[in-house]
Amino acid sequence: MAIGLASCESKEEILYKQYVVEGRVLYQTHCANCHQENGSGLKDLYPAISQASLWKRMKSDELTCLIKWGRKGTKGYMPGNTKLQALDIAEIQTFLREQWGPQKTIYSLDSARFALKTCETKL
Amino acid sequence: MYNKLRFTGFFISLLGIFACQEKHELPYLGPKSVNASGDTVYHQIPAFRFLNQDSTWVTEKDMEGKIYVADFFFTTCPTICPKMKTQLLRIYERYADNDAVRILSHSIDPEFDRVSVLRDYANKLHVEAPRWNFVTGDKKAIYTIGQKSYMVTAQEDANEVGGFVHSGAFILVDKDRHVRGIYDGTKEEDVNHLIEDMEKLLGNK
Repeated sequence: MAIGLASCESKEEILYKQYVVEGRVLYQTHCANCHQENGSGLKDLYPAISQASLWKRMKSDELTCLIKWGRKGTKGYMPGNTKLQALDIAEIQTFLREQWGPQKTIYSLDSARFALKTCETKL
Repeated sequence: MYNKLRFTGFFISLLGIFACQEKHELPYLGPKSVNASGDTVYHQIPAFRFLNQDSTWVTEKDMEGKIYVADFFFTTCPTICPKMKTQLLRIYERYADNDAVRILSHSIDPEFDRVSVLRDYANKLHVEAPRWNFVTGDKKAIYTIGQKSYMVTAQEDANEVGGFVHSGAFILVDKDRHVRGIYDGTKEEDVNHLIEDMEKLLGNK
C-alpha cells in the first residue's frame, strides 16, 4: 500500500518529503534549543523563524551561510553549526520552508553547495 | 463499633497528616557541621558581591528575606542555556508580583559577558533587576561559589560547543541562604517540582 502510494508521486515529491523528515530531526538537534520546537523563538533574544518578516528579508543563500557560520557581535549573535554539511543545511531549509515559509519547495543540495561557496564570514 | 471505626479513621488521617508533613519538609543540602554548643549548622551560601546588568552591586544582603533560584550560564551558550532561560522565564512570570522571590543568573564567561552584554540580554528577554539579576564579576569568584557553595559543575573546555562545560542546574536557596533543592533546569517536569518547592518555602503549601 505504502509502496503503491509512493509510486504515484514524482521523484521530486519523494525527495521533498525525505528532506522534510530529515530536516525536522536536524532542526530539533541544532536549532530548536533556541528557536523552540514551534519556531516561536524566545522574546527578542532568539528570533521567531515562523514570522513572515524574517522570510521576506532573508534570502535562502544568506540563511545557508548563517546556519553554517553563525553571526558574530553582540547584536544578533548566533553560534555557527560548522559540522553541518551542504546536505544537512538543504534538509533543514526544506523543513523550515515546509513549516513556515511562503513557498513550500525544496531547497536543493546544489543550491546549498553553491551558497556555501559564496559565504563571506567564516569563523 | 461506630466509635471504633471513627477512632480508626481519626488515627489513619492523623498518620496521613504526619506523612504529608514529612514529605513536604524540604531537605537541607550540602555539608553539615556541628558547632561548639552541639547544634547542627547547615551549609550556607557565603557573602558575595557581583555586578548586575544595571551595573549595580548585588550581594547576599539583597537576598535577605527572599528565596531565590540561582543558575550558571553564559549569553553565547548554544546548548542548554536557552532551555534553562525558557524555564526561568516561567518562574519570573509566575512570581512577577511577588517581592519575596528572586532569580540570580551567574555568567561563567564573565570576560565576554560584560555588564553591557548582560543588559542587552536581559532587555531582549524583557526582564528586569532586581527580580532577575544577571551577574558578572571575577571569574575565579564565580567558579568558586558555583562549585563550593551552589554545588554545580562549571569549567572551561575548548572541546565543548561554546567553550564551557556546565550543569543545567537550578539551585533553590531559602531565606536563610540554605540550599533546599537542586533541579534540572532543562526539563519542564523538574522545574514543576521546583515551583512546588518554592510554594512550600513561601508557606503557600
